[in-house]
Amino acid sequence: MTFNPLEQRGIPLDRQLRSWRELNVQPIDPDRCDPYTRCRIITMNGIEVEAILFSHQLARNTADQEVKRQLARTRYIEAQQQKVVNWLLPGVSSVLETTIAYEQVAVDLTAWVARMEPDPYLKQAYQFGVLEDFDHLYRYANLYEMIEHRKAESIVDNLTEVMPGRPTRYHHRDPVDNVRDPYDKDATNPLSKLHALTILSAEQQTMNFYMNTGPTYVEPIARQLYQEIGLIEEEHVTHYESLVDPGETWWEQLVNHEYNECYLYYSFMEQESDPRVKSIWELHLNMELEHLHIACDLMRRHDGREPQEVLAPELPNVLTFEPNKQYLRELLDTQMDLTTLGAGYVREAHERFEKMQEQIHGGEAPPSDRVMTEHDEMFGREYRVQTEGEHPDPAQREK
Amino acid sequence: MSELRTPQAGDDQAPDIDVVALLMRQHGDIRNLFDEVEQSRGEERRDAFRRLVRLLAVHETAEEEVVHPFVRRAVEGGEQVVRDRLAEEKSAKETLAALDDMDTDDPKFMPRLMQLRTEVQEHARAEERYEFAHIRRSTDVTNLAAMAKAVKAAEAMAPTRPHPGVESATANVALGPVAALMDRTKDAVRKAMGKS
Repeated sequence: MTFNPLEQRGIPLDRQLRSWRELNVQPIDPDRCDPYTRCRIITMNGIEVEAILFSHQLARNTADQEVKRQLARTRYIEAQQQKVVNWLLPGVSSVLETTIAYEQVAVDLTAWVARMEPDPYLKQAYQFGVLEDFDHLYRYANLYEMIEHRKAESIVDNLTEVMPGRPTRYHHRDPVDNVRDPYDKDATNPLSKLHALTILSAEQQTMNFYMNTGPTYVEPIARQLYQEIGLIEEEHVTHYESLVDPGETWWEQLVNHEYNECYLYYSFMEQESDPRVKSIWELHLNMELEHLHIACDLMRRHDGREPQEVLAPELPNVLTFEPNKQYLRELLDTQMDLTTLGAGYVREAHERFEKMQEQIHGGEAPPSDRVMTEHDEMFGREYRVQTEGEHPDPAQREK
Repeated sequence: MSELRTPQAGDDQAPDIDVVALLMRQHGDIRNLFDEVEQSRGEERRDAFRRLVRLLAVHETAEEEVVHPFVRRAVEGGEQVVRDRLAEEKSAKETLAALDDMDTDDPKFMPRLMQLRTEVQEHARAEERYEFAHIRRSTDVTNLAAMAKAVKAAEAMAPTRPHPGVESATANVALGPVAALMDRTKDAVRKAMGKS
């Protein structure tokens, strides 16, 4: 079925405001939900947060009072959408449980995007990044068993494996090596623009989440692990945002944001297993269609161009949460020892990388290594979920 | 679920010098036992449920004897915090008592158990957020360790895995009804705290 958001009209903006009663959504049951329902919630929260922050930046760079007011109207509705989406998460979940769900999002969302990305340079960027999130999941899962005596499989439910990826200590690169080359806005496949925006929004939300919730822990190893991985999430935001062509105008970017929201709400509506959550995706899609319409008008007025020139003729294939175990195992087998040099990738630890490593580790084991040592002291083993057999890299098999 | 079993608090190699860390791990142990009851059938379920009841009884009693009195005494507004927790505990105990009289194969058992699971989980998170945070803020290392010792004394009253050479059925008989177990736990905790 083809769905062209440009040809649809949604709910008029002046009928989108919700009262407290409508905002007060019933959260999902963390022990009974489809793990991918939680992944979709976390993804859409990241998307709405980016929508709000982007609109604020745009408003700060706009002199026209009328346009500022128009942006404020849509943005307030987006703030309500963010509240509804993120408040689907239950209060009984701990920060660490939500963290593990964030890493499941990072793994299965990035892996799926890597599989579908048509541009080889962009595909490599996602393949590179996903092996790092994969390792973060493993480290947090071990921390989780230490602090709460629970297993991460009660959250990820065997849809995602838990084992070492590229070891976290190697994620600390010289910042200049985190800057990639951008795609060309006029030549690239419109799908690539949506992928980049989706992944950078998800990573940005993860960065914000860790930087704010990390210090709520008392246990020294937990505080330190959040600090370490929080810094890597900043590197990831740098990595993914640099893929976006900076030559896109503000209005073009606004249209891309709104179009991407339509694409994702439509995708998640199509695959949602929880009917209550599905009805929220459907409602929000119908709101976004109108936001897109408004953004398109702004682009026509300010850029004198038709949005069709920068958008896909119809929605791409729905973005899907599904297991990516075999794909990840292939990457684990072939891309573990990559690092970045300039805008590209190399297998050797180069001078700039080594210098950064030396400075940040200061001759000591980083928190991501110490969490494994402390876990081993407590249980005499590691925590892993390897549903498809041994780790593809012999060096990463459990001793 | 993987074959890996997470040992229960006290059976892992953690130093257990911090009562809060210990109780948080025990909250996880309780959730693990709920999962075990849910995933098993017949005799296995009966056995898992007995272990769950015992751990819940001992854990709640220990908290009533160690955690709540401390919060009531040392934390501003502690009286109200404890009152809220006790109300939750009372409700959970009623559900537990109803379940305890029921056969685990009864069709009404699982829905009731799920209700209890929700109540216990909400209660546990509320403790972690509104009591445990205060305890760590209001006491010193020695006191955290002393309280941990008292909680461990309570645990010893209810071996949650049958000890070698002891059949679980025998252990059940020896432990007797929940109320008596709670009384004995109270005595053990008070002794460990240096009270009579």
